[in-house]
Amino acid sequence: MGWLQGGVTEEERLDLNATGKVLGRAVRLLGPYRKRALLSFFLLVAWTGTILAGPFFVGRAIDNGIREGDRDALFTSVGGYLLAALLGYGLYRTAILLLATVGENFLRDIRRRVFGRMLDQSLGFYDREKSGVLVSRMTSDIDSLSELIQFGLLMFTGAALQLIGSLIALGLLSGRLLLICFVSVPVVALASIKFQRDSNRAYLDVRDRIGLTLSALQEGIAGVRIVQAFAREDLEADRFAQTNRQLYDSHMASVRVAAWYLPIIDIAGTVTTALAIGVGGYLVREDQMSIGTVVAFILLLQGLFEPVQQLSQLFNLVQSATASLAKLFDLVDEPIDVPDPALPEALPATGDIEVSGLDFAYRDGPPVLTGVDLQINEGERVAFVGPTGAGKSTLAKLIARLYDPSEGAITFGGVDLRDTSAREVRDRVVVVPQEGHLFTGTVADNVRIARPEASDDDIRGALDRIGVLDRIESFEQGLDTEVQEGGSRLSAGERQLVSLARAALVDPAVLVLDEATSSLDPGTELIVEDALERLMSGRTVIAIAHRLSTSQRCDRVAVITEGGIAELGPHDELVAQGGHYAALFEAWEQAS
Amino acid sequence: MAGQTTSTRSPGWDLLVEALRGQKAGLFVGMLVALGWTSVRVAVPTLIRLGIDNGLQGDDPLWRWPAVIVAIGSLSGLFMGLRRYVAFRNARIVEARYRDRIFAHIQRLHFAYHDTTATGELMSRANTDLQQFQNVVTMVPITTGNALIVIAVVVVMLIVNPVLALLALVGLPFVNVLGRRFSQRLHPAVLGVQRESAELAGVVEETVSGIRVVKGFGAEPVQSSKLDVEADDIFDQATDVARIRSRYLPAIELMPNLGLVVVLAYGGHLVIEGQLTVGELVGFNLYVFMLIQPLRMLGMVVAQGQRAAAAGERIAEVLSTAPSIVDPTHPRPLPSRNGAGLVEFKNVVFDYQRAEPGAASNDSPPVLRGLDLRIEAGESVAIVGATGCGKSTVARLLPRYYDAEEGAVLLDDIDVRELSRHELRRAVSIVFEETFLFSGSIRDNIAFADPGATDAEVRRAAELAGAAEFIDEFAEGYDTPLGERGLSLSGGQRQRLAIARSLVADPRVLILDDATSAVDPTKEHEIRDAMTEVMTGRTTIVIAHRPATIALADRVVLMDEGVIVAEGKHDELLVSNARYREVLAAGGDADLEEATA
Repeated sequence: MGWLQGGVTEEERLDLNATGKVLGRAVRLLGPYRKRALLSFFLLVAWTGTILAGPFFVGRAIDNGIREGDRDALFTSVGGYLLAALLGYGLYRTAILLLATVGENFLRDIRRRVFGRMLDQSLGFYDREKSGVLVSRMTSDIDSLSELIQFGLLMFTGAALQLIGSLIALGLLSGRLLLICFVSVPVVALASIKFQRDSNRAYLDVRDRIGLTLSALQEGIAGVRIVQAFAREDLEADRFAQTNRQLYDSHMASVRVAAWYLPIIDIAGTVTTALAIGVGGYLVREDQMSIGTVVAFILLLQGLFEPVQQLSQLFNLVQSATASLAKLFDLVDEPIDVPDPALPEALPATGDIEVSGLDFAYRDGPPVLTGVDLQINEGERVAFVGPTGAGKSTLAKLIARLYDPSEGAITFGGVDLRDTSAREVRDRVVVVPQEGHLFTGTVADNVRIARPEASDDDIRGALDRIGVLDRIESFEQGLDTEVQEGGSRLSAGERQLVSLARAALVDPAVLVLDEATSSLDPGTELIVEDALERLMSGRTVIAIAHRLSTSQRCDRVAVITEGGIAELGPHDELVAQGGHYAALFEAWEQAS
Repeated sequence: MAGQTTSTRSPGWDLLVEALRGQKAGLFVGMLVALGWTSVRVAVPTLIRLGIDNGLQGDDPLWRWPAVIVAIGSLSGLFMGLRRYVAFRNARIVEARYRDRIFAHIQRLHFAYHDTTATGELMSRANTDLQQFQNVVTMVPITTGNALIVIAVVVVMLIVNPVLALLALVGLPFVNVLGRRFSQRLHPAVLGVQRESAELAGVVEETVSGIRVVKGFGAEPVQSSKLDVEADDIFDQATDVARIRSRYLPAIELMPNLGLVVVLAYGGHLVIEGQLTVGELVGFNLYVFMLIQPLRMLGMVVAQGQRAAAAGERIAEVLSTAPSIVDPTHPRPLPSRNGAGLVEFKNVVFDYQRAEPGAASNDSPPVLRGLDLRIEAGESVAIVGATGCGKSTVARLLPRYYDAEEGAVLLDDIDVRELSRHELRRAVSIVFEETFLFSGSIRDNIAFADPGATDAEVRRAAELAGAAEFIDEFAEGYDTPLGERGLSLSGGQRQRLAIARSLVADPRVLILDDATSAVDPTKEHEIRDAMTEVMTGRTTIVIAHRPATIALADRVVLMDEGVIVAEGKHDELLVSNARYREVLAAGGDADLEEATA
């Protein structure tokens, strides 16, 4: 986006008070790097001093050396100038490195902290938050922060120091001459305010237009086959050209914003220089000021207006980084729904599950489950059946402590799940989700996600226990096959096998199976069924069943409708009862 | 493309030259402004010198020189703004023009090209590569201005005092050299940070999208340590960038400062000797200042030019790919719609691997191996077969998404290669397995094939496809927006819109390619009703694996390994053919929730 350095929308914009709070908290977060941060600030102050020293030595050289014909005084000033230049080199270099170390450490900490907090959140948090927003916290918000730290902070601090330093130096040289600088202040200030506002709007506009153009581009490429199938190539090209034209227009609007502002600042600088020559000339002729002072003043003026322009451009970047930081803090402050207790109790290796008097509602939501009582014995297989939204999946997830009940309790082997740690529960109760979601990495990495310390032999063992070791090892790279895009891809069935192997590796007492709604091809289906059967043997199983063929195979069926258990008992009994389940079963048999 | 030896210039440079030629007038204005800017800008330090020597110390009227400085300096400022405006305008025009061109070209490239090219890759041609490319267009007038400034300043300094000029300038070429090296080193390191950031984003995305797995298996520690690795990588790369900046930036600042020290020492000496005025000394100072920025930018221009040429090369590669499915010079017209729709495949051989020139060839047998198939006008035929048997390929050869390698595909006795694509594709409509709808209203999507369709025609197509009912239930009806910010439709609703879209141009042949596989089995009957309706009055080819859908067709064709192995009525084949029964066994289990909903 060229010179545009970020921007904030009205909702994102923080007032002075909020900005102060956010920045204060950021400084506290610096923690162990605070000393280094302070040091780098002082280095920058010293560096600014060396820059301002240049014109000062030139002025002295003219007054004390050149005009007096005193070569010693001339060379003293030259020596001073040289020293300042060399010192400036060292200070600047050190400041860049130090500031980067502090900034990058800060960024690394904040990346870890925000992501760590996200991982600590319960599933309920992910139900509430849009995933795109969560991802953007870790990407675009931290990016805007890092842009400030990697690029803007040095320039911003440097420019601010140079502006202040120049004003001080000018004032020290001559308070009377300093007054002429204020002649241009109203114009510069008004122009800068207007520029800051316009460039903020231009930035947001360009950003939106880029987004629209990219999605039009993406749509045109992804849908190219449809476009050709209906012979719409020319029309689509015209349609895209319109979107593209709007991007061009907003780019040009942003170019215009800078095109009038930068000349104003430049001309303000020139006018001030001219005034300094005029007023300075008058004072020199009146013998009230030396030529060297006027020269030093003119030279210093050259560095006064550049920072104004830089600060104006960077201001938006600082604003958007602060807004991002505020959003990150909000995320970190979000309370955790399913917290670990201070002193977690240990869970027995196996045990019965007991749900008693359970009510559940998502935060601020209507009740999902009310008054549920259910006892699941060790080693029993229970199917949860019912229409979508009735709460069968929620109940299963409560048993795995992915949520906490609003009322009532769930115990495993007599221990309330809220009195133990997430780790303890996860070692006993594993939820195998519908589709086998794979993460970047090898097949082995994917099986290992729940047991990072497991060896390749452990993984082979787990695959073998569900009877699919041969199939996985028949891949060209076996366990080391990369599953990411571009690498060899696994079929839907193979992904489910990996998912089952994960559970086999954990070897939990309780399995919660969320059955897939989509069906596989018959060959793979058989292999998955077989693996599942092996995995289930010897464990308590809770199956969220979408197919009645599954519930038929369970010991008991719980029919969950409208937030409660409507019927409970073995398949045959329920069918014989002629109630809700019997109706379901009949409908299902007809459909298949 | 590798191995080009005939041209010494790269295709990237050629494209760049072409782009600049297309913007000749704008560049000419840019050059003029650059020239104007240079001439007034170079005058300012000399005017300040005259102000000091003749105003401050001499007998000239006090305000003469300040007035001249304000006049000339304002002009310089205005030229600066204008230069910037013209430079960026040229670049944005080139950017917009080439983005349009790339998009239009991509739209016309054949299916086989898109099969082997990732969407993301084409996106970056029209986005990041184009950014690099347009950068150079900005640089042309700016670089010219910078080069002119450097020349003019050096000349002025040499005229005032050659020895002092040489002493002042001796360190400055290093600014240029350092600027170039800085840019060359910095760029890959910055790209490294971007790459690592993208990897971190990948970890976050997969964690959030797979949060049910992460939570279900307790994989938080694994994802957390993955993130730590990426955060460390970013840290290392970013620290590298800082190291490069710390090495070059202070050095680039130091060089002109050393020049100024020398100017003060030797220049001061000359003033004492009476060979130089104080004003000239100050002027020298200002001139050295004036050189810093142009020299730095001139140094960066080389690296930027190289990157732009590389980006241009990638863009040129897309633009120089010729569409392989093109209209004949003299297309033949189709006979009138009435009673037409005869489809014939004559000994057709085809393979995807060989359809895209340059794609890796393989020795495995082709997808279609001498296919013969005749479908009478108005007949409906179901093509059945196991995955990979070539049934979908049949659907893709008729509308000429690909050309047969051997043999011929005919529509109403005319080889499809002798028809205009526009006419052919309006005559043959297809409903794909995966429904792709465009952002826009429901109406826009249905009228896709025929944007001039009347509301009545759109409505008629929606009714035929069984979509009118649910569309009417939306508050905005046919104006309901779809897409990212629009309404999300169910699979069945999307599919019915796709069918309506394929009907709006009243095609003589309709192909339903696995059009119901993404629909819940229990909802399939709704689509089936719609399908029966649309099949009447046109030739229909149905590719399906669910028996209920197949049974709708007049005739069933069983394919295996690229040829037809059996045909007949569904019921007959079910009895007589074991392979047919085997293929059909791939039916899904009915969905309980939907069955009862």
